Amino acid sequence: MELNLKHVDYLQVGVTSPKTMKLLPAVGRKATQKVAVADHDGVVNCFGMKKGEAVPVFRSLPGQKISRLELGGALGTPQEKIFVCSGSEVRGYTKKGKQFLSFEANLTESINAMRVSGADLFVCASYIYNHYCDCKDQDYFLSGDKINDMVCLPVETVGRTVPVLACQDRVLRILQGSELLYDFEISGPPSVLELHNRDGGKDGEEVLYGTADGKLGLVQLTRSAPVPKWEVDNEKKKGGVLCIDTFDILGDGVKDILVGRDDGTVEIYGLDNSNEPTLRFESVLTESVTSIQGGCVGKESYDEVVTATYTGWVSGLTTEPQQMEAGPGDEVKMSRETQAKVAALRAELEQLQVKVMQGREKYQQSSQSSTAVSAVPVFSINDRFTLCQEDASYSLTLEVQTAIDNLLLQSDVPIDLLDVDKNSAVVSFSECDSEPNGNFLLATYRCQANTTRLELKVRSIEGQYGTLQAYVTPRLQPKTCQVRQYQIKPLSLHQRIHSIDHGRPTNTLRLVGQFSFAEIHSWVVFCLPEVPEKTPAGENITFYFQNTFLGTQLEASYCKGEGNFKSDNISTISILKDVLSKEATKRKINLNISYEVNEDSVSHTLKMIHPKLEYQLLLAKKVQLIDALKELQVHEGNADFLIPEYRNILDDSARLLEEYKKQPAHLERLYGMITDLFIDKFKFKGQNVKTKVSQLLEILDNYDLNSLVDFFNDA
Amino acid sequence: MLVPIFTLKLNHKINPRMVTVGKFDGVHPCLTAATQAGKVFIHNPHTRGKRQTAHRLSQSTQDSDITLLNINQAVSCLAAGTLGPNTTGDTLLVGSQTNLLAYDVHDNADIFYREVADGANAIVLGKLGNIQSPLAIIGGNCALQGFDFEGNDQFWTVTGDNVRSMVLCDFTGDGKNELLVGSEDFDIRVFKEDELVSEMAENETVTSLCHMHGSRFGYALANGTVGVYDRTARYWRIKSKNHAMSIHAFDLNGDGVVELITGWSNGKIDARSDRTGEVIFKDNFSSSVAGVVEGDYRMDGQVQLICTSVEGEVRGYLPASKEMKGNLMDTSVEQDLVRELSQRKQNLLLELRNYEENNKAVPGASEGETQMGVIPANTQLQTALSVRAATESQRAHIELSISTPNETIIRAVLIFAEGIFEGESHVVHPSAQTLSGCICVPIIPPKDIPVDLHIKAFVGGRTSTQFHVFEITRQLPRFSMYDLHVDPSTPQPKGRVTFSINDRPQRVVMWLNQNFLLPEGINNPNVTFTALRGEGLLSISMRSSGEITLNTDDIDLAGDLVQSLATFLAIEDLQAEADFPAYFEELRVTLTEVDEFHSVHQKLTAAMADHSSHIRNMLVQAEDARLMGDFKTMKKRYIELYDLNRDLINEYKIRSNNHNALLTRLKAVNQAIQRAGRLRVGKPKNQVITACREAIKNNNINALFKIMRAGTASS
Repeated sequence: MELNLKHVDYLQVGVTSPKTMKLLPAVGRKATQKVAVADHDGVVNCFGMKKGEAVPVFRSLPGQKISRLELGGALGTPQEKIFVCSGSEVRGYTKKGKQFLSFEANLTESINAMRVSGADLFVCASYIYNHYCDCKDQDYFLSGDKINDMVCLPVETVGRTVPVLACQDRVLRILQGSELLYDFEISGPPSVLELHNRDGGKDGEEVLYGTADGKLGLVQLTRSAPVPKWEVDNEKKKGGVLCIDTFDILGDGVKDILVGRDDGTVEIYGLDNSNEPTLRFESVLTESVTSIQGGCVGKESYDEVVTATYTGWVSGLTTEPQQMEAGPGDEVKMSRETQAKVAALRAELEQLQVKVMQGREKYQQSSQSSTAVSAVPVFSINDRFTLCQEDASYSLTLEVQTAIDNLLLQSDVPIDLLDVDKNSAVVSFSECDSEPNGNFLLATYRCQANTTRLELKVRSIEGQYGTLQAYVTPRLQPKTCQVRQYQIKPLSLHQRIHSIDHGRPTNTLRLVGQFSFAEIHSWVVFCLPEVPEKTPAGENITFYFQNTFLGTQLEASYCKGEGNFKSDNISTISILKDVLSKEATKRKINLNISYEVNEDSVSHTLKMIHPKLEYQLLLAKKVQLIDALKELQVHEGNADFLIPEYRNILDDSARLLEEYKKQPAHLERLYGMITDLFIDKFKFKGQNVKTKVSQLLEILDNYDLNSLVDFFNDA
Repeated sequence: MLVPIFTLKLNHKINPRMVTVGKFDGVHPCLTAATQAGKVFIHNPHTRGKRQTAHRLSQSTQDSDITLLNINQAVSCLAAGTLGPNTTGDTLLVGSQTNLLAYDVHDNADIFYREVADGANAIVLGKLGNIQSPLAIIGGNCALQGFDFEGNDQFWTVTGDNVRSMVLCDFTGDGKNELLVGSEDFDIRVFKEDELVSEMAENETVTSLCHMHGSRFGYALANGTVGVYDRTARYWRIKSKNHAMSIHAFDLNGDGVVELITGWSNGKIDARSDRTGEVIFKDNFSSSVAGVVEGDYRMDGQVQLICTSVEGEVRGYLPASKEMKGNLMDTSVEQDLVRELSQRKQNLLLELRNYEENNKAVPGASEGETQMGVIPANTQLQTALSVRAATESQRAHIELSISTPNETIIRAVLIFAEGIFEGESHVVHPSAQTLSGCICVPIIPPKDIPVDLHIKAFVGGRTSTQFHVFEITRQLPRFSMYDLHVDPSTPQPKGRVTFSINDRPQRVVMWLNQNFLLPEGINNPNVTFTALRGEGLLSISMRSSGEITLNTDDIDLAGDLVQSLATFLAIEDLQAEADFPAYFEELRVTLTEVDEFHSVHQKLTAAMADHSSHIRNMLVQAEDARLMGDFKTMKKRYIELYDLNRDLINEYKIRSNNHNALLTRLKAVNQAIQRAGRLRVGKPKNQVITACREAIKNNNINALFKIMRAGTASS
């Protein structure tokens, strides 16, 4: 079935956090639903649509930024009370806008996830989970990593309170009271949780999750163990999932899954007979989708998908067919409502313009005074700097409330900036002198009008660490720019995993010295991504990592006074050794570093690289042949005379080229890592083999695994 | 939404910018394009299977609608149109780096085949000025040459650099066509026959030109800029990170005015309003666009816009019908309007909030305020430009110093300027330790052009994360790399140019002050500078009689000065006497080298012909031997053949080296004529150019130098 949805804008509010827009339950039959949306100005906005016009129901006073909005009410009644959390406070409003609850949770951190179920209130601040019943403390849990979202299985069906926490360390933690019942490991950091079918399915145990790297999955959380149902991979490299809802928009009697992502994608998945999801509809908005809800807002009896975006646009993708009034005139005739709307807006604009002019003048005048200061409030930037597993590069996304004028990128480590197709900004690299100013990259992006979101890709080299800074200047008077910093860590291409293969030959780095648990933890945080900043509870800890580019692994386990790092890649160990000893020296801590090098590990790593390298070499070779073969084909009129191998290349040419384009400089990166491996292997033996690197490159040019391994052994 | 009315997959690659449509039989339009392996294909879907193979033409076996034309040389440009007076159909013109072929596709015969020493980078077909017959005008290395239908050379002139694009249009509005030429020295020049009437300086190689309507024309640059000029005034331009492959004027929305259609390197096609540059339609190909043309391809009386991609995909678009009301994109006008207004409202609100918050700020910084980057309201940025001679550590440059008057610091400086940096911007980002309130930026403009420096400076406190952005525009005068300090030991320049003007010395002083970077104004037109880019002196002196002498060894600089002064004083015709002994000596050497290379070229061609007859003989002998069963002789012959082949390849290499050397010399000669012309203005300029050409044709080198010196051929 072809789904045809039309985009309609309803209202713009301030900047919104994820999951801050909900539809209130419909009153009576067939009526449209009201929308409740909360923004960073602290305003809760509740409105309904009447003849294409947003009619406010209520608007709360501005305050601290609101991070979540939930609906609640006594169990078994319509859930129409509005709960919001801002800072460490939870407020409740009736559907008419009367505030009936103000509850200070007394947490040191601000709340970033919240659920309401009857008289139970569940809140999560970065590492802490708290359960209140009638505003009285019930349970408490300290999570090992940041909590991104939480959900409670429905008490009505399950018969007990089961909170589920989505934690940054790629785990769903299922609690029972204040204790961990069990956890469920997923492949990406979960960013959002939602009950399947809004009620958790038949048994109330089905939970949908979305991850920051764009995956979507369903899991059944039974009393004793998790049962994974399905997971949709993010092959097209779409953005991370920010919000999920279930609603029957297709009208086939089965609830569909609505997904909003941080690159502006809105997706609708239908479930087929075997309950497997298939993508049925996709639409792309210009900015990240922070909330998504299925319902009926714009017009009676037409269902729609309502979305809220980062800059506060509430809009619908409606099933209502749009009729264009085609009059005889040259201009497209506008409906009367729209005309009224436009006129009202214009009048409002004029008034504002006058006010702004006054403000501007005053501001100009203040520049004459010698005591006045100019202080422009900080504007909000929504930024993400994440490692992409597929191509082992970082993607940086920046999103600002107003159009971006330009962006300056500066880095004090050598990194490569890659072109992103979606990005229309004109990039210009400035020459930079690394010597006095320590710049390795200076690039400006001049944005086209109306660009509020920028996406960039950055490729780092392991072992080279430092800071990437982005200076963002929006088109807003008085002009200001804000700097954001992103750490490029020494082992920047590593990613957390849940378990490692213990069968591999490993090299070990052992640290012994007078350092505390917190100190060594801070060093590990400094070296590796995806490690929680908070020192873990307990005496010792073990983390597992994988190199996203090569697939080699690292095990880091440490406690007070001792640390052990094991990896099958000798370069990883070498980098760790360098960085850790430097860090310790900086703090004047005497470290006793010892290491065990396993000779087998080198050939093991080479064997791991082998299939990738061979594939890339073959690909490069094939791509090189394509043009020549095509010319032959044109010359001879057909390709029948070619040997099948060449004919295959011709047939596959489009795919080959595509693949080649997708992985720029892949081969060079592999070469670089093999060279590092070579140097590091002998560094541990105390030999400097830099002079032999040219020989190594020669061998790589005529690549053969055995000769390479021999060279490593003999040199 | 406008959709293509036909789509074709031609299975032949298309070389970028080498696409045209011709009615070769006078009736049926055929898409004609250059493809790989020195071939041109003609797509004729109208007369299927009626053609036979002969001469250059051969039927493509892949597609019966396509005929291939063997050129046996890499094609560099392509055009089709009416050339001869009594021909029924269009003539196809194919240019390569050495030849121009005029070909009658219908009769399958060459019309003429001319050797063109300067190559053919671009070609146009049509009437120029008062010349009776239509001309095929080719643009090569610094030269323009026009041929009539008999292949006679009817038009010749020189231009500043390699020609990349040309178009014929009535620029002056006199009812006759002028020739617009875009070249690699970033200039668009307008020729009224061989008289240069206008020059527009751009900041990159001009890759495409197209006539819009009246005196309006579109242009595209190699850095991704496209825009529209009306006469010498630029109407609008936009810059993209992609490259414009082809531009074409076509009325796509049916409003009676043509739009600028641009085909981009990323496969995008867009149509922009000729007045504003606003996009009214866009579509996407999967690969780079190769060319955009128009023709009545369905033979139904309606002209279609035909877009082609490099992979051979062709799409045709009909102009929009009345019902679409110029709304070609799939958007709703009303919604866009409302959205735009709301966005503006939001922006104003944000600005207003900035002023309100600013008013609340009081002097005396707290923690939060230092983050915000509070600065005294009276902070003003001071900028100064000064010339700095070369020192041991730094090359000669212009120093732009930017400073704040108080304790605030400058975090970074971005300078956007065209044509003087590698990209479009230059960034100075001092390291955190060396932050101060003053930044000096060295600027080295690569050539003498006036430049607007758009400076953005980020000003704030040392620990701020948000900065105030100061935006200032400073103009760099045209001749900025000249220093008034003169080392007395520097030898006086031998070259000079002398001319007389009827203006007061004060006017010359004004010109000097405007065009040079002088520390304080001067009041005497007699000045001497040190040229910082090259070396040597430049001295300007003016006698009371109005005679001005420019002393410099740089003929280009002299030309620039003469042109700039003439423009400033509004002089239409200016005769000058000149002598540049060093340059003329160089030219004399070049001219003798041209002769040498020419004779070598002829010798080599003869040798080549000789060898090829040998080959023919040997092959016959070898095959004879094979048939006779005399394998010994056969083997011997084939070995000989192999040796000969190797010799031929070597000879070819010599020949091509020789050819390239010849081309650079010829370019130098053309440039010399152009430079001699630039020392004069108006009519005397054209006289010099024509007279020089005459002298070269007659191989009268002494006359050539005489003309260059005196400015006239006679006396």
